[in-house]
Amino acid sequence: MKLWKKLAAATALTVVGTGAMAAELYTPNLAYRTGPFAALGIPLMNGQADYMTLLNERDGGIGGLPVNFEECETGYSTEKGVECYEKTKGGALVTQPWSTGITLQVLPKTNVDQIPILAPGYGFSPMSEGGTFQWAYNPPASYWDGAYMILSDIAGGDMANLKGKKIAFLHLDHPFGKEPLPLLEQMAAEHGFELVPIPVGLKEMQNQSAQWLQVRRERPDNVIMWGWGAMNSAAIAEAVKTKYPMDQFYGVWWAGHDPDLAAVGAEGKGYKSISWSMPQPDSALMAEIKEKVIASGKTQTTEDQLNSVFYQRGLVMSMILAEGIKAAQAHTGNAEITPADLRWGLENLDITEEKLAELGMAGMVPPFATSCDNHTGHSGGWILEWDGEKFVQASDLLQADQSVIEALAEAKAAEYAEANAPWPVNDSCGG
Amino acid sequence: MLYRTSGQFKTSYTADMALFPVRQDAILLAIILAFAWVILPLTASEFAFQTLLIPILIYSLTAMGLNILTGYAGQLSLGTAAFMGVGAYACYKLVTIMPWMNPVVAILMSGFFSAGVGVMFGIPSLRIKGFYLAIATLAAQFFLVWLFEKWAWLYNYNASGAIQVPNLDMFGVTVAGPTADSMTQYYVVLAIVSLMTMLCINLTRGTLGRTWKATRDMDIAAELIGINLMKSKLTAFAISSYIIGVSGALFVFMWRGAAEPNLFDIPLSFRILFIAIIGGLGSILGNYLGAILIVGLPVILNTLPQTFGLPISSATVEHLNIMIVGSLIIFFLIIEPHGLARLWALIREKLMIWPFPH
Repeated sequence: MKLWKKLAAATALTVVGTGAMAAELYTPNLAYRTGPFAALGIPLMNGQADYMTLLNERDGGIGGLPVNFEECETGYSTEKGVECYEKTKGGALVTQPWSTGITLQVLPKTNVDQIPILAPGYGFSPMSEGGTFQWAYNPPASYWDGAYMILSDIAGGDMANLKGKKIAFLHLDHPFGKEPLPLLEQMAAEHGFELVPIPVGLKEMQNQSAQWLQVRRERPDNVIMWGWGAMNSAAIAEAVKTKYPMDQFYGVWWAGHDPDLAAVGAEGKGYKSISWSMPQPDSALMAEIKEKVIASGKTQTTEDQLNSVFYQRGLVMSMILAEGIKAAQAHTGNAEITPADLRWGLENLDITEEKLAELGMAGMVPPFATSCDNHTGHSGGWILEWDGEKFVQASDLLQADQSVIEALAEAKAAEYAEANAPWPVNDSCGG
Repeated sequence: MLYRTSGQFKTSYTADMALFPVRQDAILLAIILAFAWVILPLTASEFAFQTLLIPILIYSLTAMGLNILTGYAGQLSLGTAAFMGVGAYACYKLVTIMPWMNPVVAILMSGFFSAGVGVMFGIPSLRIKGFYLAIATLAAQFFLVWLFEKWAWLYNYNASGAIQVPNLDMFGVTVAGPTADSMTQYYVVLAIVSLMTMLCINLTRGTLGRTWKATRDMDIAAELIGINLMKSKLTAFAISSYIIGVSGALFVFMWRGAAEPNLFDIPLSFRILFIAIIGGLGSILGNYLGAILIVGLPVILNTLPQTFGLPISSATVEHLNIMIVGSLIIFFLIIEPHGLARLWALIREKLMIWPFPH
């Protein structure tokens, strides 16, 4: 009887509690700290959560309202992801879906539910077409940007140098891995290099001997890897074993995870990964995080994660969301905003050098700006190179040629809209 | 007391063989149906529709398909998810090639494709049994998922390799796609699942069902009393695959909205096999009970800490959840190895003779 009374009281409290908590910014994150990809997820999620904790601790939230950065665990499973989306969509300002599978499922629904999707650095590349994907945002750079930047680093800036080269494209056989193929195929036809796509099945992720045998037989000038999770560490280990020259091996930003490289240590020296974020251990932001978040124990972050590429990328992701909220608050004049307001905010992001310096994040992400027609921002990125112990910056800021990418994005966005008709398209953006 | 059967006399053979020889069973079913058709839809939230009601119904139907094959006809299959995939991809091709087609007709038709593929992979069952047959169906699992990935025509040469459900109308109401209302989808699923359940109950009680059971219990004896084993096994494969195919089409079109090939991989097959085994092989009711335990319970457990305001992080809840569901499965299998349906049958028997046990 006593227990039942307690339970009833607890339920009543929660009901009252949720009623009173209305004045907050609810930005749920569909996290994956369990499951096969947890090792990659944890530092990213920690970075995201820590940035919001810092804002709550230091400034009392954003615009005076605390941020409720609740996590809903998906374990990277699409089924759980949809469950989380349904659970959180009632009060959520934004959806952060995290996996390509969940993004695929949630994307059409957000149009109906009118909640913006924020997928920093992942999701569909054609999402940059704001006219078609009105509720989806993938700042600061899309996969096609990434693929273009890798090619331009291989070519040394002049795409004509690619002529006659043979480039292997080692990718996960999954929507995520196939994403850059249309761009790479187009570039191969245009600039006369030979593209050898080598798919890695989801089940073969950890055993890539067949794929690397093919690499050895084909002798490509470069290998570009679009991998995720266990695929990356396995590929890097195989590359070391087959003695593939590491400095000709490139990865997407998700293939630049410190522990993957730390496993091979000095033998991985020269491995490169394109990235739109860069760890800055000495930045003002890191000092504040250490002081206000880590020292007070309001975090799940461990000391060794702090300077990793992924943790600091998580910080950048939350910064993008926070700046979107700030822009929306400034626009409406209210601290309490709606998902539609946040959509405006994400569409009018203007992250300049000065802004980054002001946030204490100078050099952590290249400056970028979004607009109604451009939901990506196309910040460009740097090549990070493994020096045997850590990733160091190995190039100036690279930019993708938007005249090439935009034409492709427009075509693919139109294709998507047609396949999913009736799909609401906003023509007022122009472009 | 509630289940007292005294006073219910059977005066004819037909009455004794009726679907509900005990009146209370019929009343109970009427109550459940009233809940399913009226009360739940009126009270359920969007969350309940999308994470509990619709998936439980669809998983129950899939498990029922598997149960026909494994529980009634005794042919072990590990290729369930692949046959679901055949249904889903067939439905996708049907509605993209013929957009004017009624979506429910498309869903029901896609089962035939899966039945065809099922019969093809069922042919080895004429020569091999038990674990060896399981391996043959495992081959179907690997081959079909590979086919879904490689045969670009199946997903209309989509760059991402995934299929997405377009908005589909039926008599002016959107029933599938992102703009469809959850309640509409629930009713479509409920109608199809109810229809299939009725079909299954009648099939398993009739000649075909008895033929299957004979085949399951001892195939040589069945052959000696004149049962054509080829016909018996292949009809089991065909009907089972048909139901699984329909459920696969429902799975993608009425619930998920999008699917990538690896969705139909072996973990899904195992999940459905677990539902069938924990629910009870060789029963219809068991599929529903199993689906509630395996699909519904984790969702409910997930929401509990929040309801009671317990400050547990979402990742910890997930870990706890896996442990609780795992131990419950072991618990139920220890107290009743023949599944939840058998457990219910025992409870019902006890209720009938209560308060005077033998």
